[in-house]
Parts: sequence; C-alpha cells; structure tokens
Amino acid sequence: MAERPPTSENALLDVSDLRTHIDADRGTVHAVDGVSFAVDRGEAVCLVGESGSGKSVTCESLTGIVPQPPAEIVSGDVAFDGIDLRAEGADLRAVRGDRIGHVFQNPQHALDPVYSVGEQLIEAITAHGDPGGRAARERAIDLLREVGIPRANVRIDDYPHEFSGGMAQRVAIAISLAGDPDLLIADEPTTAVDVTVQARLIELLRDLLDEGMALLLITHDLRVVASLADRVLVMFGGTIVERGPIAEVFENPAHPYTQALFDSYDGFGQLPDRPSRHDLPTDGCRFRAECPHAVEACADGPQPPFHAVDGDSSHAASCVYYGEGRDATTVRDADRGVRPVGEVEDDD
Amino acid sequence: MESSERPRFERVDWSDIDTERRLVTVERSLFVLGLLVVAGLFLYDRYYAHVYLVAQWVVTPIDWAVMTGLVGLVSFGVVPALRNRAAIGQTYESIRSRPVLTGALAFLAVFGVIGTVLPILLGRPDLHFGYAYQPPVGVTVDAGWSPKCFGTIKQGQGIQRYCEGSILIPLGTNGRGQLMEAMLVAGARPAIYVVLFTAAFIVPLATAVGVAAGFRGGRLDDLLMTYVDVQLCLPAIFLYFIGYMYIGPSLLLLLVTFGLLSWGPVARLVRSEVLQRREDGYVVVARSLGGSDSYVARRHVLPNVTNTLVPAVFHLFAILILAEAGVAFLGFSDVELYSWGSTIAEGLSPDRMAAYQVWWISTVPAVALAATVVALKLAGDGLRDVLDPRGGR
Amino acid sequence: MTERPGEGSDPLLSVSDLETHYPITEGWLRREVGRVRAVDGVSFDIHAGETLGLVGESGSGKTTLAHSLLGLEEPTAGTVRFDGDRVGELSWADQRAFRRRVQLIVQDPNEAFNPRLQVGKAVAEPLALNGMDDADRRQAIVEDVLERVGLAAEDTDRYPHEFSDGEKQRLAIARALVVDPDLLVADEPTSALDARVQSDILALLDEVRREFDVSILFVSHDIDVVRRFCDRVAVMYLGEIVERGAVDAVLDRPAHPYTRVLLDSVPSLDPSDRDLPAPLTDTIPDPADPPSGCRFHTRCPSVIEPDDTDLSAETWSRLAAFRFTVQVGELPARIDLDQPPSEAVVQEAFDLPDEIADEQTAVGVDDAVTALADGDLDRAKERLAAVLPSVCEQQVPATVETDGRPVQCHRSDPDVDAEPRPWTE
Repeated sequence: MAERPPTSENALLDVSDLRTHIDADRGTVHAVDGVSFAVDRGEAVCLVGESGSGKSVTCESLTGIVPQPPAEIVSGDVAFDGIDLRAEGADLRAVRGDRIGHVFQNPQHALDPVYSVGEQLIEAITAHGDPGGRAARERAIDLLREVGIPRANVRIDDYPHEFSGGMAQRVAIAISLAGDPDLLIADEPTTAVDVTVQARLIELLRDLLDEGMALLLITHDLRVVASLADRVLVMFGGTIVERGPIAEVFENPAHPYTQALFDSYDGFGQLPDRPSRHDLPTDGCRFRAECPHAVEACADGPQPPFHAVDGDSSHAASCVYYGEGRDATTVRDADRGVRPVGEVEDDD
Repeated sequence: MESSERPRFERVDWSDIDTERRLVTVERSLFVLGLLVVAGLFLYDRYYAHVYLVAQWVVTPIDWAVMTGLVGLVSFGVVPALRNRAAIGQTYESIRSRPVLTGALAFLAVFGVIGTVLPILLGRPDLHFGYAYQPPVGVTVDAGWSPKCFGTIKQGQGIQRYCEGSILIPLGTNGRGQLMEAMLVAGARPAIYVVLFTAAFIVPLATAVGVAAGFRGGRLDDLLMTYVDVQLCLPAIFLYFIGYMYIGPSLLLLLVTFGLLSWGPVARLVRSEVLQRREDGYVVVARSLGGSDSYVARRHVLPNVTNTLVPAVFHLFAILILAEAGVAFLGFSDVELYSWGSTIAEGLSPDRMAAYQVWWISTVPAVALAATVVALKLAGDGLRDVLDPRGGR
Repeated sequence: MTERPGEGSDPLLSVSDLETHYPITEGWLRREVGRVRAVDGVSFDIHAGETLGLVGESGSGKTTLAHSLLGLEEPTAGTVRFDGDRVGELSWADQRAFRRRVQLIVQDPNEAFNPRLQVGKAVAEPLALNGMDDADRRQAIVEDVLERVGLAAEDTDRYPHEFSDGEKQRLAIARALVVDPDLLVADEPTSALDARVQSDILALLDEVRREFDVSILFVSHDIDVVRRFCDRVAVMYLGEIVERGAVDAVLDRPAHPYTRVLLDSVPSLDPSDRDLPAPLTDTIPDPADPPSGCRFHTRCPSVIEPDDTDLSAETWSRLAAFRFTVQVGELPARIDLDQPPSEAVVQEAFDLPDEIADEQTAVGVDDAVTALADGDLDRAKERLAAVLPSVCEQQVPATVETDGRPVQCHRSDPDVDAEPRPWTE
C-alpha cells in the first residue's frame, strides 16, 4: 500500500491507495495504481501529469463518474468530509454536484446544446432539493454574475453555442457551483481557451478559492499550476511520484520525472532517440525505463516509498535516491527548478 | 537522425518526374473496353441476330442499361477494390468472423448469379397448361383443378381424387403450369436488375451530387439542395404511371422514375458527411497537396463515411426492390419479366379456386422477396460494421 | 503595411498586403451584407532556413493566413511571392511545383491521418500526387524518411491509431518532408502535445530545419514555444500584424501593447509571481466589424488620452476602462440595467476616481454615470465617447520602425504626441 501523506484534521477529501483498472484492447491498464492524497478545506491542490498519467481517471474515480465498465475501481478509500464514498450503497449522486462540483476541459461538450444555459443552471440548482420557479431563476442569474458573465439577466436565456469558449467555460463553472460545493474538481479547465481568456479564468478560480472553496485542479501545464496551486502532486504512470508545497516543488524539483517536465519548458535540447513503445511497468518506479539514474532498486516493491526531500516531510518524492543510505545529489540538480522572485502567498 | 548520407527524398529530381495527369488508367481502359463490348453486342443484336442474342435471351432496353451499368461498376468499383490487396484480406477475415453477414452475402451472391445468368440460359419459364396448380411436395390438393397430376393421384371418397405433390416439383406450379422454381429464378432477374441499376447509376449520381454540394458550397450547394427538396415532393409512382401511359410497362421506366426520385436523401447524407469532414486534418492536407475535390472525396472522405452511407445504400436497394414488386403486384409491369410481385398477385386471384387453396403461388415468391430484403438489410448493417474504421482490426 | 526589411538574399516567401475576406451573405441570391476580414493587410518575409513564428489568439486570422499561403483559401487582395514568382500567376506546372515546395503540418495529430490508410501510404501520398508512379520507389523513400524522424521502416504497414500523439506528429513531419520542401507551414504543431513530447517534436523540427535547409512558418498561440523555437516572430491581432521582428527583440522588449498583454497573460513558472495584468476589456471584437482606427484600442491598456485634457495616467486608465467597457456592453456583474443601480454603485463598480481635474470630462463622466443609473446604456456610451476621444480610435496607426522592427502603434509613431510606455517583464 502506498504511503499516505500526513493528513490534517482539516482534510476535506482524503484518498487512500486508490486503484482503478481499465479494460482495454491490449489488456488491463492500471490507470490509477495506488494513489493517496488529501485536500484540505479552502486549499488548491494541483494534480500534474501527462496524458496517460492517470490524473483524469483519478478524479473521475473519486465520485464514481468514471464509466464502469470498462473501468473498475478496484480498491482504495475515498472519504469526503467524513463520508465514505467507496462504501456499498454510498449515495454518490447526492455528493456529486451538491458537495463536489466538476468542470471539464471542453465546455461545449459539457453543455447540452439544445437547452439554454438558464435551463441547465436551473436543472442543476433544483437537482439538489432547492425549490424551482422564480427563486431558482434568480439564483441562476446570480451564479452567472458570480462567474463574470456580463448582462447575466439577458444571457441566461442564450444557448451554449452563443457563448465564446471562455464564456462557455464560465457557464460550466457556474453550473458546477449550483449546489454550493465545498470542493471543485476541474479537469484541464483552461486548456481549450486562449491565453488571455485563461488568465481571466485563473482569476475567477482564485476568487472562488478566496471564498473558501477547495480546488482540485488537473493540468499538464506547469504554468497554470504555478499560478494557482498551494500544493502540487506530480503523477506518472498511475502513481504519484512527488508531492509538496508549490514553492518547494518548483524551486527544487526532486523526482527525475518532475525534473524532466521542468526541462521541457526550457528550450528543447537534443534530438531524442526513437520513442519507445513499451508498456509502463506496474510495479516499482514507473519512470525507471526513461530515467537516466535508474538502478536495480527502482524495480522493488509496488512503488518506491516516499522520502522527504531536504528534511521537510511535506515535500516528498517517491524515489530511491532520497532514501536512507543513498546519495541524493546524484539526482538533485541545483540548476533546475524556478528561482522565485518573491514570497508565495499563503492562503489560510 | 542518421546524417551519413543524403536522404533519399533529397535525391529525387522533381523536374524529371512526369507531372502530367495520367489519362490512361487501368480502370478507365477497362471501362472503355467494356463499353465497346456492349456497343458491339448492341449492334450485333440490332442488325445481325434475329430474336435471341444468345441462348434464349431477348434483349430489352433495361438489359442494355444494366449491362452498361455493370461495366461501370466492375471497372470503377470492383477492380480498384481488388487492387488494394491489404484491405481485401482484412475485410475477408472480418466478414468470415460474422456468420450472419456471411450468410446474407452468400444469399445475395447466389441470388445475383441466378438472376443475371439463369434467365439468359433458360429463357421464359416453360408453360405446361396440363400441369397447372400442381402442389408442392408434401401437399395434397383437389385433382380436379388440373387436367393432369404430376405426382401421385390418391383416391378419396366417392369420385373425389387428390393430387399429391411430387419431389420432382418441390415447389409446385402456378396457374399456367410454370414451375415455381422457374418463376423464382425468373423473378430474381428484375430484382437483381433493380440492385444493379441503382448501384451503377443512382448511387454514383447521388454521391457525386453530395460531394459537389458539400465541397463547393455556395450557390451550387443551394441549387442542388433546393432541387432535391423539390424532387422529394414528387411521388415517383405518379410519374411512373404517366410514363406508363405513353410507353407501356417497362422496367427501365420504373427504375428511371423511382431511381431518379430516390437519390435525394442519399445525396443529402453524403453532403452532410462531406461538410463534417472537410476540415479534418488529413482532408486539409490532401487539398493542400493539390488533390482535386474528386480525388479527396474518393480517397479520404467517402471511405470514412461508410458508417452512414453503406446502410443507407442497402436500404435504398431494399426499398426499390419492394417498389418494383409493388408496381408489379398492381399489374403495371411487363408480364414477361415474371416479377415476384406479379406472381404474388397471380396467386391471390386464381381462376377457379380460393386463393388460400393454392397458397404456394403467392407464398413462395413472397418468402423470396422477404428473404432478399432481409438479406440486403443484414448485409448493409454487417458491411457497415466490417468497414467501420473503429471496429477491431 | 509595406515594410519589408531587407536581408542579404531575396526572401523565399514574400507576402505583401495580403487580404482574405469572407462575404457574409443573406438570402437565396447570396447578397453580401458584410465581410469577415479574417486577414486584412498582412506583409512579411521568410528567408531561406529561418523560422518565423506567427502568434495570435483565436480570431486573429493566423490559420486563415496559413491556409491562404497554401492555396487552401483564396486571398481577396495582395500578393504572395514564392522564390520571386507571384503565386497567383503561376502556370499549371509551376503551381504544381509550388505545392510541392510548400508543405503543411496540421494542428491535431489525431486528425492528421486518414484512419483507413496505412501510414506508409499516407506518408507517400505527396509523392503520388506529384506524379511519382513507381510504388517501390515511393516505398523506399518513405522508409528512409521514417527512419530519419525517429520511427521504423516497419511502421509503414501500421494504421494511425497504433501510434501515440507524438509519433503521429513525427509521421506528419515525415509526410511533409518526402517531397523535399523548401518551406513548412506548421499550424500549431505542438499545441495538442504534452510538455515532454512537445520538446521532442521541437527538437525534431529544429533538426529538420538545419539538416534539410527548410524554412518554417510556425503558427502558434503559445508565445513561450515561439520564443524557444523561432528566429523571428510576427504578432497578429484581428487580421493584422501589429508587430514583428527578431524573437528576442519582440518578446523581451515588446513595443506593441497587444504583445505586452499576451506576454503578461501567460502565467509565470514562478509561483511567487502571480500577477496577471488584464487588458481593458475581455471581449474580442467581431472580425466582421473591427473597431475603428487601431483595432486594439478597445482593450489597450496603453490607449492614448484625449489631447486637450490634463488627466493623470491613473485617472485616464480608469476612465478608459469605464468608457470601453460600457461601449462593448461588458458591464460588471453588479450592474443590471433592468434594475438600475444607484450612482454610487456605478462609481464603485468601475472604480471611478472621485475627482476629475478636467471640468468637461468630469461633467461627461457624471452624465454617463447618471445614464447608467437610469438604465440608459446608449446615452452613457454617447457621453463617454464625446468627452473621452482618443486618437487611437480615430486614426489607423502607421507602421513605424521601432527598435529596428516594424510596429503598428501610435505611441511608437514620432508624429503622434504620445510616448511609448515602459514595460517590465
């Protein structure tokens, strides 16, 4: 069982050793292979990884929206505000939308083109017991205002295709806020929009964080992580390979995969070899086939245990080099990472 | 990247490559050759032969139309498909793994061969008035219906005698003593002609219009789609009757009127698919490489629209076969065609007895018709699955 | 814009005042009621062996421009010269050659290949379309190219779905290379790829450029990628190039306010630097009805204040935001014209200064505030337009050489009474 990070009493979401397997043509894929993390109230946690790392499947497994079959949540515990989401008969639908909101990458996919946004908002509002009618419409207009849609009282009757990409994403966020959730899970919400629109969406998410909402943000873009996260979780091959507060991870990326990620933002280096087409291993360190520092010990166990980087237990990497009796300097590289200019704001 | 020697693509001298469009291709040569053969047969039939072209075949206009269509189908449809050896093997395997589809295709193949070849060889089903209303094997009827009984005669009460069906005439005979098997074979011909004519003329027309409207857009698109809308309002059968008044019963007329008025929906379908795929990356690349609209449509768009096109085309076949049978049933087709529809009608109004007593005359062609339609639909759905690019390879 | 910086040799591709407009039609006879000015007067050059980045957001016209160069869209005005010859006037054979020498790499690797064709055939398609009939020869060339882009000769028999995104992009590059092009038009080649794969593909493209002496027009919305990869960059907004020049010059010392907005909008990798300066308004104008004068003026943080008033930069900045926000109709959430707010709320919502030095301006702004409190948007727009005019909306800026490169902004124009604003990264 993968090591669990220390949880505070404040933990809103507590995930422990989650495993989700997917039945694909070429066999069973261990999409989520022993993932543990927690999200505190009001905290912004970013899950960073490439496509295939399992970040989306992880989040879809939390509330059970991942399609089962072909996927199957094999094991693990997911607790939300004390409620066991993995229990038999757990009322996931009550939690979804009401306590946990979801936002996805492409708003035009998330919105039904044949209903006006008002109708979709009201549907979300009344889905959790709120009364309908005028009150619901008022609340819908308020939600649109909250996410920054101008002339909300007019645009509430518009259809999704009448909104630009950025505006449509705001509408999608508004719908996810309808149940007044404590946690918002956003899967690549800014990937499909222009950079100026992305900046405004990031500001919107920050406003929501300021109001006390927790955010679990999935992205592949380190810059978006830098602009929003309090804590970072780096995923590769279905496992978390590094975790910690944002300033530390970014200043001092510890795991070779994280380092490789940072490298790719910095020029493009040598022409790489033929891309390998191997399937990732399902034990040990999933990155070992591509890691320049791999040793035999990397293949041991279900996953290399998490070791603190630099004596700070909250910044940890799942890498044998940080363990006892090993020389971390082989892997550590003072020149990598980002030199922060100022202090990272610490939102309580 | 191995940079030891110059890459092959840099060693190509493009000024040498003949960039003239090739006029002569295998398909085109075959097509021209086929047309010449048909033309030759036509002239021979017109000026030299007397009644029969070959064996028992009296060639009618529909035959010439279908022959021409067949030439087109083979040269532009079958031959290019055969040249793509890789896809052939895979398609064959896919088909074999689907027993229902294999069955449907086998049935249609048999039906096709029977319908095209046998009537030529056998000619009109022979009349045997002496053996009218013979029952199928295992069925017994009143022996008084017909002068003679081919099977065994059984004695009943008093002067009642029964005629029992014989294994030698397994499906019985109709009111003119024509063997039901022969009627089946004869009736397959107008049915297969419907399919061939539609496949050779209607489907390419609809596809071409759909591609043109989809790619060019603009005024051409407006014009063509408006025409299609207007055309959809005209009832085909009405036009057929008008033509019938002037020309008399003619399968060609039927196919032309029904065919001409039925290509609209398929054209719209193709157009809609083309519109959706126009901006797909590989289509854009092909256009940027200088591919003409027809090249891009043929190579990149149409193969990827089979999901909707193939079932729609097979559905069209089925509908038109039923239309032909319906018109024949009503009595408006050429008697010499022996369409299943007219045989069904015959069986419903026999001379001297109740229809149910000679049930086999209607039932046998009805079963054949139903089986053909079902086979066509199954084949359409099955082929769609086989050709689906997302289906397991 | 006819600025064409001279370099040693003649440019490989020379675009001059290119326009591609789409008519908006109504009715059966397709009466033209408007035009979408997707590309509206663009000029630039690409020299042999260099990479030019074309940066812009959606609606900038960059993809239309790329397609117009390739002949996929018909330009409505202007000229494109390739190797000295006007593309619009080529003979059929020369047009064929042009199509061979300029190749396209499309954005989405998942859509770049016909799912039914084996990749060997797909990569060989340019060879076949250009008249190479010998199938064996094509196969040999394809196998050779595949090896050179990091794939295997045996891959020719496979189908696109068997490859990862990064591999498909390599195949796309291979397909573009087989006919030995001189210019690659890469439309967002790395946008759909993960960071590490992006890096790989950029490395491959760079290698291709150097080994095979190919120029690259790199269209992208990602300014960081352009910074890493390109020699020169052109920034597009609403169909026009607002600034172009060497990458270091444009991206380290941006002269045009839109370039600055773009750079400011990209979040920094530094978690302690979370500032994301915003343009005046968020709404991107309709390409069919672009703003008068400088097209960026409705969003420009550096929009020039009216001549005769004496407003502080701070005041003007807030008033400009007020004016253009109202003009575009992008009222803040609190302002609902059906239940008009009080004037105090309006003041606060737009962060208007309490005191405005210039009398006339103060009166106009007050009028506008009152109008909004009455729910009269049009009157508010009118009043603000009257008291807060700007040369930026009245005149189209001339293209001026600034810092050694062409910039289309009044502040850079020595003839206009306004100074360029300083900019810190």
